[in-house]
Amino acid sequence: MRGSEFDEAAFFGAIQGSGARVLLIGRRALVFLGLPVLTADYDFWLHIDDIDLFNRALEPFQLYPSRPAEEARRSGRYVLANDEHVDVLVARRVTTVDGVPVAFDEVWQRRSEIALGEDCRVAIPAIEDLIATKRFALRPRDVEDIRFLETMKGGLDE
Amino acid sequence: MSDRAFKPPAPEVVERARRHYERELSPEEAQEALGVPLTPSEVEGNLELIRWFRSRYPTPLERSAYVRRAWRRWVGTRQG
Repeated sequence: MRGSEFDEAAFFGAIQGSGARVLLIGRRALVFLGLPVLTADYDFWLHIDDIDLFNRALEPFQLYPSRPAEEARRSGRYVLANDEHVDVLVARRVTTVDGVPVAFDEVWQRRSEIALGEDCRVAIPAIEDLIATKRFALRPRDVEDIRFLETMKGGLDE
Repeated sequence: MSDRAFKPPAPEVVERARRHYERELSPEEAQEALGVPLTPSEVEGNLELIRWFRSRYPTPLERSAYVRRAWRRWVGTRQG
């Protein structure tokens, strides 16, 4: 499946249908929320026990994992790629650059959902948790994103 | 007018900028960057951009499709 032909609705529908506990993070989540930022990737934070469910759901898109599930659990990350690039974080807990631990299970409990179509939804972290994920590897672009998210937190008329 | 036409920067300049932009900040840099409160004009500027983006592309998938197109255009510019 070439990038230009990529069917995002089907992609997210397959993820939803997989039953995997997975959160869309990174800039694509910001774009879905309405923040005008540029990205080419899809970043997910996946429950460490749901790697196989997630990978199976994306096989029809010819997205194949960069390493076996067991190895991904050990390293905490893997990639699914063809013309698309899907970064997957599989850690139970990640510590921000300023030393704050962030646990998947707690973020999952506080998640919200974005409707992508009649029967299609994607889970994203609460804004405060999305800001925390931006502190996992605080780069200049993450600082920009945090400032955008802080603006949203301050209140935006829907 | 023609001598003012946009010329993409040299590849090594683009690469240097990319590395700078993608690097992890030191704790001191992070503290400095995040310790600055949002100014009213920054908030207003951000809100204006968000409102524009949301009204121009009302659904999440439309926003994402726009970003995919914008990315392709940007990569095309970089590759000349």
